Amino acid sequence: MRHATLCAGTAAALLSGHPAAAEQAGPASAETAEELSGLSIEELARIPVRSASKREEPLSAAPTALFVVTGEEIEASAAHSIPEALRLAPNLQVQQVDARQYAITARGFNSLETSNKLLVLIDGRTIYSPLASSVFWELHNPPVEDIRQIEVISGPGGTLYGPNAVNGVVNILTRDARDTLGGFVRATAGGDERSLAARYGAPFGGDGAVRVYAHLFDREDVAPGIGPDLDDRFRGWQAGFRADFGGGGDHFTVQGDVFDTDVTALDALPDDGDSGHNLLARWSRQLDAGSSVEVQAYYDYFEREFLLVRDSLQTLDAEVQFNRRAGAHELVAGAGMRTTRDEFINNLNLFRLDPQSRRLWVFNLFAQDRIALSPALALTVGLKAERTSFTGVELLPNLRLAWQPGERALLWGAVSRAVRTPSRIDRQLANPPLLARGDDFVSEKLIAFEAGYRGRPSESTTLSVSVFLNLYEDIRTTEFTGDPLPIRLRNGLRGHSYGIEAWSSTQLMPWWRVSLGAATLWKDFELEPGAVDLARGDALGHDPDFQLLARSHISLADRLELNAGLRWVGDIEARSGPGIGDHVEADARLAYRLTGNLEVYVAGRNLLHRTHAESDDPQRAQLAERSIFAGTRMRF
Amino acid sequence: MTGRRALAALLGVAAAAAALAAAPARAQPTEDEVKAAFIPKFARYVSWPRGAAPGPDQPFRLCVVGRDPFGRLLDQAAAAETVDGRAIQVRRMATPDAAAGCHLAYVRGQSGADTARLLVALRRRPVLTVTDARAGPQRGIIHFTVAGGRVRFFIDEAAAAERGLSISSRLLALALGVRQRRT
Repeated sequence: MRHATLCAGTAAALLSGHPAAAEQAGPASAETAEELSGLSIEELARIPVRSASKREEPLSAAPTALFVVTGEEIEASAAHSIPEALRLAPNLQVQQVDARQYAITARGFNSLETSNKLLVLIDGRTIYSPLASSVFWELHNPPVEDIRQIEVISGPGGTLYGPNAVNGVVNILTRDARDTLGGFVRATAGGDERSLAARYGAPFGGDGAVRVYAHLFDREDVAPGIGPDLDDRFRGWQAGFRADFGGGGDHFTVQGDVFDTDVTALDALPDDGDSGHNLLARWSRQLDAGSSVEVQAYYDYFEREFLLVRDSLQTLDAEVQFNRRAGAHELVAGAGMRTTRDEFINNLNLFRLDPQSRRLWVFNLFAQDRIALSPALALTVGLKAERTSFTGVELLPNLRLAWQPGERALLWGAVSRAVRTPSRIDRQLANPPLLARGDDFVSEKLIAFEAGYRGRPSESTTLSVSVFLNLYEDIRTTEFTGDPLPIRLRNGLRGHSYGIEAWSSTQLMPWWRVSLGAATLWKDFELEPGAVDLARGDALGHDPDFQLLARSHISLADRLELNAGLRWVGDIEARSGPGIGDHVEADARLAYRLTGNLEVYVAGRNLLHRTHAESDDPQRAQLAERSIFAGTRMRF
Repeated sequence: MTGRRALAALLGVAAAAAALAAAPARAQPTEDEVKAAFIPKFARYVSWPRGAAPGPDQPFRLCVVGRDPFGRLLDQAAAAETVDGRAIQVRRMATPDAAAGCHLAYVRGQSGADTARLLVALRRRPVLTVTDARAGPQRGIIHFTVAGGRVRFFIDEAAAAERGLSISSRLLALALGVRQRRT
């Protein structure tokens, strides 16, 4: 283990050390300008432009391990759902559990029940559930073509982003309605999945626009893996709208979605499935050149019904954020309040939430200042105070230092504290006399040390490397507290994890881009003195210790586009489950543009094997299957 | 064992990244290069009201109001174009006060609010305004955006009509979106 760390350090040095060696390539020559002038306007509109430096990276997130997936990259890939699109991010580990469900995490703790340290937002709306602090990915099915970009931060983001941002933040942003004017239709069909998405955007008022969309999808059931055959066909629909408008320094956004999905398993009841709706309003105002204020509120409701279990959640959230730039300071401060009311009815077995329904509150106050110590050096100091119904006040500080020695490189380091506050299950799951409520379950805590490099070692290459050391305390255990029953959920595990994440993207030729990514993870945990864990470390999740991604994007004569990705994911060692071997898989999409507004394509996921296992969940794991389909995208 | 394999794999990536970085950069044009090529071409597809169009011996005047991100790129592009047989003359100005003789103006302030102020000053004039902003009052008649890795644009035909400018269907057809004139 120790030699691995040492060598890994060397690898990081190798990676970050080489930029100095690879300086070249000036700005495009005058010939280019003349060549461009010789083109017609139609031809100009089809010229791919260099975009690597044009990504909108949030300033606040600059000194972090941030990977941005752009909407264009998602459309070019074979992904038609959010979890599949997240496979494009090297700093996320994505496990398909069955046809509906995915387990996704950054920096470890993956599995359906333990991937509970990630904060996921869609346009500012938090989508992790307080039931188990995990995300039900199957409840969120916007057409991927509406996504503008996905920011994936590995590492704590607690100060700015909010609760549960322990191991990472996934911030999904959809397009401004003013960017989706006109009509759009996507249709795909294949042996294993079909989809139909339609959108129409129209201007309204002087400066506003609104779009409406509907998305239908149908995925066939996948073969059983370690778990029993679930016959888990996934079909449903989601529809919604988004309006953006405002004049002067004001920007208003109003958006909402409604969805319904079916469970068609053999033992399913007629009403089984998920449904829900949400409505969000945001107002941001530019006060003067250096300051702005943003107010946001949303309502969200969903219910999940399966077998004899019914889980519902109602969320109301309001936030205000203030930004001010003055002199050497960039200040962000804000406050937020969220209340949830859930109900968990289980007629399947004797496990109950006690009480069955509960209202929870989260209040927070935060402030962060980025101080330019010199033109090249910036210090970021932030603190969030969060008060939750279960744990009282938690403090989430972070300290970041960014050094920009030149235009093309940023070196950064950070120390932060984050917590995962108890979920309803942690605190209030009971099955007397076997399991008693975990009334003294406290927050799981993390102190994270990170460092990284991000830059452009050459004109055509971007590179990011980061290392982290995470120190955890009070991770969940299951202990005897009686003689020997009842058992209770406690906080008996502690330990650390460390790893390296690196990714690069290179424009090899004007028509060819290649991206590489890698993430490694080492974990070392132990029981605190006197603690036992009947679950044998289940809460630590089941993680591969590495994954490697490679992706190539070729665009020829603006007609033909070939995007192909290869991923190698390490094995998941057996701890309590049977474990699964490593796998190499590929996805690809070949598209031909018939006219400027009409494209046809064939695409496939998991191309190399008919089936492969990604999850070792003993109750639910099915296999990920090869899926090949044809599709078309039309704009009018 | 797995640790060692991961390490080997990581070193592989490091080597590959280094190899890629060292490859010659055959750069794609930048956004600004493509925009600079577009701007003088717009003139061909717009007609100005009588009186506002350049006279028989006058050049077509293209102005950059506020910050100029293009530099020589725009001069080169303008030199390669003609509008109805007239040469295109590029002028640069910090404020719109001197914009009286401009036919086409690319407007870019120090900030969004600044751009809006510059545009307000040009509002009543038959000038084809071109901007980068998509939203709100910071938006010219033609506003650029980058979609699908390509430089595209939106057209506010209503605003053009208010100034007596008419835009050809060829240009309208190429726009990602058109805010239509009221009939």
